Amino acid sequence: MPMGNTQPSVRPASAGRAGGAAVTPATHRSGTRPRRTRGGLGAERYAPYILVLPAVLIIVLLRLYPLILGVNFSFTGDGAQNGTAVGFGNYRELFADPLFQTALKNVGLLVLLLPVAVAIPGLLATFIYLRVPGHRFYRSVYFFPAVLSPVIVGAIFNLLLAFDGPLNAVLSSVGVDPIDWLGDPDIAMFMVVGVHIWATFGMALVVFLAGFATLDPALLDAARVDGASLRQVVWHVIVPALSRTIQFVFVTTMIGMLTSMFGLLYIMTSGGPEGSTYLPEFYIWKQQGQMNRPALASAASTILFMIMLVVGLLQIKLLERSGKED
Amino acid sequence: MRQRAIWSAVLVVGLALTGCGSASDSGKSSGGSDSKLVVWDWKSGEPFAKSYLDKAKADFKKKHPDVTVEFVAQPFDQYYTLLGAAIQSGKGPDVMLFNGGGQIRDRVDALVPLDDYVAEDRQRLAGWEAFGKDGKTYAAPVTLQGYPIYYNKAIYQKANLDPASPATTWDKFTADCAAIAKAGSKCFALGNKEGVGIQFWLSSMGSTTLTAAEYDAWITGKRDWNSANVKRVFQTWKETGDKKMNSDGANSTAMFNDSFALFQSGKAAHVMGLMSDVGHWQDFNEFLTPEKLGVMKAPVVTAGTTPSLPYDGGIGYAVAKWTKDPKVAADLVRSLSSADALKAFYADAGAIAADTTIDVSQAGPAVATLVSELKSGKPALHVALSSKTLDLMGRLSQQLLSGSITVDEVVKQLAASDQAG
Repeated sequence: MPMGNTQPSVRPASAGRAGGAAVTPATHRSGTRPRRTRGGLGAERYAPYILVLPAVLIIVLLRLYPLILGVNFSFTGDGAQNGTAVGFGNYRELFADPLFQTALKNVGLLVLLLPVAVAIPGLLATFIYLRVPGHRFYRSVYFFPAVLSPVIVGAIFNLLLAFDGPLNAVLSSVGVDPIDWLGDPDIAMFMVVGVHIWATFGMALVVFLAGFATLDPALLDAARVDGASLRQVVWHVIVPALSRTIQFVFVTTMIGMLTSMFGLLYIMTSGGPEGSTYLPEFYIWKQQGQMNRPALASAASTILFMIMLVVGLLQIKLLERSGKED
Repeated sequence: MRQRAIWSAVLVVGLALTGCGSASDSGKSSGGSDSKLVVWDWKSGEPFAKSYLDKAKADFKKKHPDVTVEFVAQPFDQYYTLLGAAIQSGKGPDVMLFNGGGQIRDRVDALVPLDDYVAEDRQRLAGWEAFGKDGKTYAAPVTLQGYPIYYNKAIYQKANLDPASPATTWDKFTADCAAIAKAGSKCFALGNKEGVGIQFWLSSMGSTTLTAAEYDAWITGKRDWNSANVKRVFQTWKETGDKKMNSDGANSTAMFNDSFALFQSGKAAHVMGLMSDVGHWQDFNEFLTPEKLGVMKAPVVTAGTTPSLPYDGGIGYAVAKWTKDPKVAADLVRSLSSADALKAFYADAGAIAADTTIDVSQAGPAVATLVSELKSGKPALHVALSSKTLDLMGRLSQQLLSGSITVDEVVKQLAASDQAG
């Protein structure tokens, strides 16, 4: 996480490309060195490869190889067809399964809700930065949910949102009929996402605050002297100055939403009601663990991986483009 | 970028065409040395299982003094995931615990048929059917799991109903429920968040909704989803929702253990509970004294039917295919369901053990009623369905309660899923 604040503070024009490019110039430049020691030590020529080898081996053996195995499994059958090739059969079954369609739709919903998930910590961090009364207190309180495990958060909200729970008791005291927060298929997904945002925005808030630390206060003072309103300050000074932080938070929040909502789902709704809160992750777990369909689960994993890949590549593209604008 | 795309395409097509390897590696045998057997379960870590395991180990020691046994307790919510991984790798425990029904039937490829080894225990133990597939038996039952309807006699008294003679027909039952509602309680404590409520409903009400012939056909796999009586099961389920007979927010209430807590605390008059493990007579006794807890027969929905207790083998130990010596492992399974061990399990864990010769007169009238009904009992209807159909039925049952689907559509979808798998 700390990369988020170190990068903007250094702020070299090519920072966005630094990660990928740094390696290649180094190897190119090493090409000049052998000229000095030409015919000399072969070991030195291989040294870079040997040094990189452990990292490459770890990635290949523990990441790529299992990944390829998983993709391979996804083209085989389950149960009686175990081990026989079924081509794209599992994928056809997946896309025909209304449950998996719901899971994909919910991924779309998450993408739509992403701006909300980023705006909340952004706004709160802005208020803390602008020193609203009690900002020290809020700073620690906002971070508090981030240290709770999803299971505990889920259990807490299960109690709060129960049909005979405190939230409905409050509502009925002002004359509103009780709502089945986690039992109504139209509402349940929003509740789970809302709780997820509540539980995780503390981390994004810290990243935002770190971003604010690099903000030049002179800009704010200048805006104030010019008579800018709070809204204008936020829109014309803070947002442009924090664009890199905002992008970083977008990336991490999206990844967090796609990969770490399992605990909450499992505790709060178990994918229900009526299967309305399925996400690909939960679907994979269900097929592998409950339905004994490992190959189908592999196919679903492969699709989730593709989604993550597309989302990740798009976001890297965005980051690169904004890096050029700087 | 373009080249990368081409390479990925080549990779995908290549894999799709060959599709070699397999998701689960069957046939390989490994794991478990000669002198050691590894057992996986989700019970052995619990304090109540100690005397049971001690008795079983002692029994096994007499037969095979040189073989050591190691029990590995896995967390239940991850159990079948871990087991799935073990089966795929072809390595794992020699003996493992299973739930009866779909969970074991889906995995018989990895198990040894035990028929030759357990012949002597056939008569003494009940509940074998839940561990069998295609005429072969894959595990020996430890407990029996049934789906009785429990009721709270105190609420019956409050509603001016006779606690000694609960309703025997569905019409009388709904009338009683109206009286119970007037007295300020709900009729059923229902938790259908996981979609399990409908499974209990199907099995509890099955014997009085389906005719005897339909019931037996259902168990043997010839299920007529279009029969009026099968539809009736789902209609009465929908009726409980429409008439507000269930506890509020059933679709967001967890069955384990929120719905049982509602029943225990006297907020609802009935619950479709279990016989063993959780949600049963011993659990309820914490708040409901044995005198207040009643067990009733299912009210008759279809005229001419006789209620019977739905029950099956609950949990049982099975032997993995990759074990070195199946005979030794099967002996361990037999020790785990020996009379002494099961007696300890019944006493400490509060389960109806598979051994029907155990004396249960000390445990209160509800248990005595249950055990007396075992003789005329039949296998539970939902246990005969595949996990996939059960999962679908759970979701459809939630839709029935919320009114977003018709009974006809439900049986249509279930028929399609049942025939496919």
